[in-house]
Amino acid sequence: MSLQIQNLALKYPGSSNFVFQDLSFELKEPGFNSLFGPSGVGKTSLAKILTGDMPHFYGKIGHEGMMTFLYSYNTERLPGWSGVGKHLEKITPAGRLERREELISIFGLEDCLRQRFSQLSLGQQNRVNLLRYLLQDFDLLIMDESLANVDELTREKIILRIKTLYPQRHFLYISHNVVEVSKFCREIVVLRGAERHPQSIVIRGQDARIDREIDRGRLDQTMLEIVNASS
Amino acid sequence: MLLHRRIYQFLIIYAIGLACLLLIKYGLGLSDYVIPGPVDIWHTGTEEFERYFFDVLNTLAVAVAGQVISIFIALLVGIAGRQATWFGSFIKVAAYNVQAYPIVAIAPIIFILLGDGLLTRLLIAAMICYFPVLLSVIGIMAEPVVDIEHFYRVTGRMRWQLEVKIRAFENLNKLTTVIAGSATLAMAGTIVAEFIAANAGIGYSIRVALYQSNLAKILVALFLIGITLSVYQGVLELSGVIIRRAWTGK
Repeated sequence: MSLQIQNLALKYPGSSNFVFQDLSFELKEPGFNSLFGPSGVGKTSLAKILTGDMPHFYGKIGHEGMMTFLYSYNTERLPGWSGVGKHLEKITPAGRLERREELISIFGLEDCLRQRFSQLSLGQQNRVNLLRYLLQDFDLLIMDESLANVDELTREKIILRIKTLYPQRHFLYISHNVVEVSKFCREIVVLRGAERHPQSIVIRGQDARIDREIDRGRLDQTMLEIVNASS
Repeated sequence: MLLHRRIYQFLIIYAIGLACLLLIKYGLGLSDYVIPGPVDIWHTGTEEFERYFFDVLNTLAVAVAGQVISIFIALLVGIAGRQATWFGSFIKVAAYNVQAYPIVAIAPIIFILLGDGLLTRLLIAAMICYFPVLLSVIGIMAEPVVDIEHFYRVTGRMRWQLEVKIRAFENLNKLTTVIAGSATLAMAGTIVAEFIAANAGIGYSIRVALYQSNLAKILVALFLIGITLSVYQGVLELSGVIIRRAWTGK
């Protein structure tokens, strides 16, 4: 299961500038990878191209062995007419009840299930939203700042457990947090903008896991590489 | 609270209107034949109250029925026309164009074809309040609530019923305001229909009073129309609040 982007170009209708042009990279193995780069560089546009929500682009996307792409983002909401628990019950596919309970526990959402979505804090809303995506069938899940409002410790716990629970799935984590992507991601695709060559650089991250300590010096090195690539 | 506010507001406006009329009367020295004095208005009120009250109820019943019909049809058409398809666009364009034509202007045709009975009043009331409701419903139903709908769309769970439910829920305030507001249109439509050619209702009584040049009767009729409509709108708004609380939990 690999994801290959070849000579991808995108220009919005009416605009003379390319969002990206001749963008190419490859993510060979499943895992927790990242799209990184400054605002406006095309991370969300690329995510939408991958999920088929933005059909007008040039270039080729290869996704051998991958069928279902999902895109989640941090401002998504659940309908407000019933409690969070009831919504989760309705969208849980058959045979995934145990996984749902496990995720609720990992995400620390036990006390939120009777509340309506609008009554939750932003961090809780982010967690509920991501949880429902993790219950679905997917080969690639794009997390566009999906945990942006969650505190650092909880975010770390969630990411590490996701990596353990879904070792054979592709994740594309979009974040502006250089420490986080360096620490948790296996490969970081740094998007640099249409005017630069190469337009993207893939950097090897530290890929932290529950059972693996990371080396502080190597983490600093990765962060430095990301900053250099994006600046 | 909403009900009280509606009634207070109407009483204040009615009192201001009446005061202006009396000011004109005494300022220009007009006779009681042109603008009756307060005592005349009071006497007419006590004499005609019961008859006019039942006339207003008669009109209100037709207006409510017309409003219910128009809301029902507007919801059906609005839901059908919400999608960015050829059919959806056709319905939207047709609704915008047809509503630009004054329904009152075609009311005489309806009277000629259907006579001056209940059906004609009902039809005109429904037509007058239908298009504004339709435009609002189409506007609400055609606007995706992307942050909520996205998940259901990408996971293949979206059904038209869910889409309508999400959009109605997210625009509940707008919908209840439009429905409460359309009560005025339905009432106005019914009164206009009665005024043109019907043989019952408060519009018919106003027409008779007009032929008698009896402004006192017209003022009493206006008072009863206003107070009844205020109560009806207040009840609608209150119902909206109750439904909203039950559905949203706040």
